[in-house]
Amino acid sequence: MALLEVKNLGISFGGLRAVDDFQISIQKGQLYGLIGPNGAGKTTVFNMLTGVYKPDNGVIELDGKGITGQRTIDINKAGIARTFQNIRLFKNQSVLDNVKVGLHNNHPYSALTAVLRLPKYRRVEAEMNERARELLKVFGLEEKRDYLASNLPYGDQRKLEIARALATNPKLLLLDEPAAGMNPNETKELMETIRFVRDEFDMTVLLIEHDMKLVSGICEELTVLNFGQVLAKGKTGDVLNDPKVITAYLGE
Amino acid sequence: MSFIAYLINGISLGSVYAIIALGYTMVYGIAKMLNFAHGDVIMIGCYVVFTTMSGLQFNPLLSVLISVVVCTVLGITIEKVAYKPLRKASPLAVLITAIGVSYLLQNAALLVFGADTKSFSSIITLPALKLADGKLVISSVAVVTVVTCLIIMTGLMLFIKKTKAGRAMLAVSEDKDAAQLMGINVNGTISLTFAIGSGLAAIAGVLLCSAYPTLTPYIGSMPGIKAFTAAVFGGIGSVPGAFIGGILLGIIEVLGRAYISSQLSDAIVFAVLIIVLLVKPTGILGKPIHEKV
Amino acid sequence: MKKLFGTKNMKKTTKDSFITYAMVILVFLIVQIMVGTGSMSSLLQGLLVPLCIYSIAAIGLNLCVGYLGELSLGHAGFMCVGAFSSAFFTKYMMDTGMNEILRFIIALIIGTLTAAFFGFLIGIPVLRLRGDYLAIVTLAFGEIIKNVMNVLYIVKDKDGLHFSMSDAASLNMAEEGTFLINGPKGIIGTPHQSTFTIGVILILVSLFVVYNLVNSRSGRAIMAIRDNRIAAESVGIPITKFKLMAFTLSAAIAGMGGVLYAHNLSTLTALPANFGYNMSIMLLVFVVLGGMGSFRGSIIAAVLLTMLPEVLRGLSDYRMLIYAVVLIAMMLFNWAPKAIEWRQRHSLKDMFTKKTKGVQ
Repeated sequence: MALLEVKNLGISFGGLRAVDDFQISIQKGQLYGLIGPNGAGKTTVFNMLTGVYKPDNGVIELDGKGITGQRTIDINKAGIARTFQNIRLFKNQSVLDNVKVGLHNNHPYSALTAVLRLPKYRRVEAEMNERARELLKVFGLEEKRDYLASNLPYGDQRKLEIARALATNPKLLLLDEPAAGMNPNETKELMETIRFVRDEFDMTVLLIEHDMKLVSGICEELTVLNFGQVLAKGKTGDVLNDPKVITAYLGE
Repeated sequence: MSFIAYLINGISLGSVYAIIALGYTMVYGIAKMLNFAHGDVIMIGCYVVFTTMSGLQFNPLLSVLISVVVCTVLGITIEKVAYKPLRKASPLAVLITAIGVSYLLQNAALLVFGADTKSFSSIITLPALKLADGKLVISSVAVVTVVTCLIIMTGLMLFIKKTKAGRAMLAVSEDKDAAQLMGINVNGTISLTFAIGSGLAAIAGVLLCSAYPTLTPYIGSMPGIKAFTAAVFGGIGSVPGAFIGGILLGIIEVLGRAYISSQLSDAIVFAVLIIVLLVKPTGILGKPIHEKV
Repeated sequence: MKKLFGTKNMKKTTKDSFITYAMVILVFLIVQIMVGTGSMSSLLQGLLVPLCIYSIAAIGLNLCVGYLGELSLGHAGFMCVGAFSSAFFTKYMMDTGMNEILRFIIALIIGTLTAAFFGFLIGIPVLRLRGDYLAIVTLAFGEIIKNVMNVLYIVKDKDGLHFSMSDAASLNMAEEGTFLINGPKGIIGTPHQSTFTIGVILILVSLFVVYNLVNSRSGRAIMAIRDNRIAAESVGIPITKFKLMAFTLSAAIAGMGGVLYAHNLSTLTALPANFGYNMSIMLLVFVVLGGMGSFRGSIIAAVLLTMLPEVLRGLSDYRMLIYAVVLIAMMLFNWAPKAIEWRQRHSLKDMFTKKTKGVQ
């Protein structure tokens, strides 16, 4: 059974059909790419998958459970975490605290416990610190854990977003243009990190990307979106050589 | 008959709110900020009319004209000095600055004009309208206020629809960046909006003081807040919404004062605000705002 | 690149709170010595409790403005609620022979909880909306409370309590009855139980609560919502819960300040001067000048700005004007993108770096 099963997903804004009859099926452990020209509706798909937008129609199932139209926080609890195209970090908190916000639901203690500084507070905080540092280590950010998030270089900010998403312990990780703004070296390093995350955390990854080197380098399967509709899907190599896809990218 | 008299009073007060609410709603639509100092611009306008008319014995119309000019310049200056540098800062920073400006205007007026209440002599000296054999008396101030409000509303809607500057305003309120790319002078348009709103504030001030002839440095803040309530009620960003919201709020306030409690009339107006926000946060004519992700 | 924390995150924030506790205790001791040796003027002594009141209310407001990133213009209203509910209780219990300390403690709890309740009530509808609305609704709330308090009459006689919202005559009070709340005259004859010592204890309690909260899982969630609501949602933070938590606590702390206020005066009335819009603005000035997100700064600003005009009498006419100018200047200097750039170029960074936890 597929980890993520989406059928007939659609949404309109005003009179515009932004996404229509979108379907995707992602197996557990897959590195899956969602590509397409600008404005094709890729981020809109992410927003529907994560409950930022409520789809007009369609079904989204994660691990066999319907999550269509649920609230963002419930979808996160169900197991989908994401990053954003325009980076959305908690700028005024430290790098470590950004990850610890991601750990929020998996390491609970009440506000009263915190105010009274009960022993549980110390214990859970210590757990959180340890877990957050482990995650930061994966992305090579451990040494920078006390920096203010907004003071990180661009590439590190993108990595921190991934670390924060992973902290919520998701089943499926959605990455929205993770390599945007990175130089070729950084992109290469990112590819390795994404692969490492998949193997180490047993993660399933769906990513939107324009960098074809990254897409062809790590994605096993692709879905191509054009004008809100699925243009092609299948094995990465096949899809990238599909004349329809080439036309969509290069124009008629 | 008394009910009709109250209703007319309400419409008259509501017209003043509507004119003030225009200033809030236009600025909110375009600069996406709550110009807290708007009410205090009204107060400054009133003092200008008072000083020129009572002190310098100017012709009332000339006084009003001077007041409009002063308020317009004041509005533009406030925008340039205090708000423009913060256009890319967080909304919280802008809001706090606006409160600072409001506070500044009040306290500057307090120093210049003193804390004592000045009695404002109405600039409208026409005789009252007597209807139904003298059973229903409508003051000339009420008539002039309502008529002025209607003229301003119509004029403003025509201006926005028909002129290039008006359409630029619409464009900037829809999408500032896109408007800029289309060659619209965004800064100029924002200045124009502040200018129009502040100029109208001067007129609203004169009408307000003609109906309630006492003048202190604080007279602007309460009507200002109520007019903002009216703008929210009608749907923030919408010109007809400001009109509808203003009139409704004026009627609610006057009827509340007459039939429920005179001391609680302000409380009733604010309770309306809270209820509106609970039931329909976008107001009567407002459109929901979507955040881009 | 500059590290804003020390190497050990926890230690640094803990240190920050301990500096503040130490500062408060030190000032307390100095004041005690000065009062003991008679080297403090009676004018200043009279200011001691008000300083505590303003500090507490400013701490409460800072939680809302600096950490939640929402502007409340109704904190004077929460103070008013706390003041009246607690004074009402005290007045009601005055002839029952209840232990005075116990009565004050219960009054304190009642005042704080009532303010919290109102904060919760206001917060439910409004915290879902855009920030500017919270400012205007809390302002409206403050005005409503002030208005209602001025038309509320409650008397106690042998038949129990009588209420009226219009005038004293309609209460049908028995002859030996006493007014608990007498309309615009307010509550008369509450005992002076607020002392500087109690004020300082309450400051410390407020600080303890807010510091421990913000340096916790809940505090991080609150700041995450402030910094980026959509991202906070995406990692599963329940937005409404934490907004309400912060706002309710903020109102409760202001209410606690109100209790202190009510028991510092023999007559409690709701006037524009004490519980009006201007008071809310004053508190905001304390918070902004002290630094949004810095509780220590709020206390320092509240103390300095309250004492300054008293010490420099000649300035008092210009006090409000100066506050306004300083407020605007501070906002422009701290938040205008160009000013931030200028500061960075002129490497004033270390002097003026925003607090790590300050609002974006």
